Amino acid sequence: MKLRSVWVFHLNTGACNGCDIEILDILTPYYDVERLGVKLVSTPRHAHALLVTGPLTRQTYYAAKRAYEAMPPKPRIVIAIGTCACSGGIFYDSYSIRRESERLRLEYPRTGGASEFLPVDVYIPGCPPRPEEILYGLALLLGLAKKKLSPRHYVGEEFVLPRTQFKAWVEVILKAKIRKELGYFDGYKLLERFMELVDIAETPEALQRLVEEAKTREKDSRIRDGLDKLYSYYLEVVRTYEALLNQKRGIPRIQK
Amino acid sequence: MPITKYYPFEPEQAPLEYRGVPEINPHLCVGCGACVNVCPPDALIKIDDYENGTRKIVLDIGRCIRCARCEEVCPTRAIRLTREFEAASNDRICHVEIVELKLAKCRECGKYVDYTERQLQKVLSLIPPGILEFDRIREKLPLCRECKRLLTVVNATKFEEEMRE
Repeated sequence: MKLRSVWVFHLNTGACNGCDIEILDILTPYYDVERLGVKLVSTPRHAHALLVTGPLTRQTYYAAKRAYEAMPPKPRIVIAIGTCACSGGIFYDSYSIRRESERLRLEYPRTGGASEFLPVDVYIPGCPPRPEEILYGLALLLGLAKKKLSPRHYVGEEFVLPRTQFKAWVEVILKAKIRKELGYFDGYKLLERFMELVDIAETPEALQRLVEEAKTREKDSRIRDGLDKLYSYYLEVVRTYEALLNQKRGIPRIQK
Repeated sequence: MPITKYYPFEPEQAPLEYRGVPEINPHLCVGCGACVNVCPPDALIKIDDYENGTRKIVLDIGRCIRCARCEEVCPTRAIRLTREFEAASNDRICHVEIVELKLAKCRECGKYVDYTERQLQKVLSLIPPGILEFDRIREKLPLCRECKRLLTVVNATKFEEEMRE
């Protein structure tokens, strides 16, 4: 059956309100879901589809059941919005969540949430999903967009080691330090750039020149500072390594 | 001027900082399970099969809350949050990504141990040259817990005998 103009009823089954605000967002003129024919109605008796958010608590179970049964029997579409409705999300193990079946520890896809007792047609994961994600899910339901994901199973892929021996060791130490300085988001990206410079440069002096060159091109002062710190940590690691080697050879360490 | 987005009919990109759908790179993943330990909603699970000698790292996007803790702890940067956000699907199995790896075999008893071959390679590649004796480490590494304990006992008794002599 081709769906044309879907009227939806918004059902919150114990969500944290994040997904509900995003649903409100798609009704604003900026995203304007009504141009796809989707209209929010105030009773399930007029609705073709339920927009379910939340992990289905024990208290909301009865209300959700009544809302679902009040819908007209024909299309009776259920759209699960948000990670909680899809699979329980962060609340999957909570005491207040209704469980339809025994949860196994190692099963996949992971079960839980409103999808356990309602037959869901479209799952829209996200915590919360962007308004675009919800629009995409509705477009998928209406046949305006194509599905992008497919199940992926990788067996026996080739193993790639980007760096080995000394450089890999340096990378591990620098990674821990830059995470404390800049955080993972900027820090790991910066470390990747820095390690590329290390791969090019042969001596610490050449590396210093490359770092200075990269600093002049960089506008963000945090990144410039991070480059400086990475270079000093790199020198520290190299010095420690040489000292260890000297100890191993039995040569007394020279104080600088 | 119309303000409304034309979105489902034209492509759209999330902002640079957006934490979208996570993805595992099967070429880099060593199967250490660090991401499994930190994942707050258990979207990542580790399934060991000691009979066939495989380990599965299973990622379920439908359970993921996009906190990026897995990206923070991954030692090889195999798992990353992409800017991709179009994850809606009518089937939950489409949200699942599985990376299957081989478990290492014990050198002494031939049973499968609780770490993968890739973890071994990674650990051996991390050691800088000249500090540790490679051959002695290589001898010890692919051992299961039982055999490791036995080896320790054997070495200790040898040492005691030497001391007596």
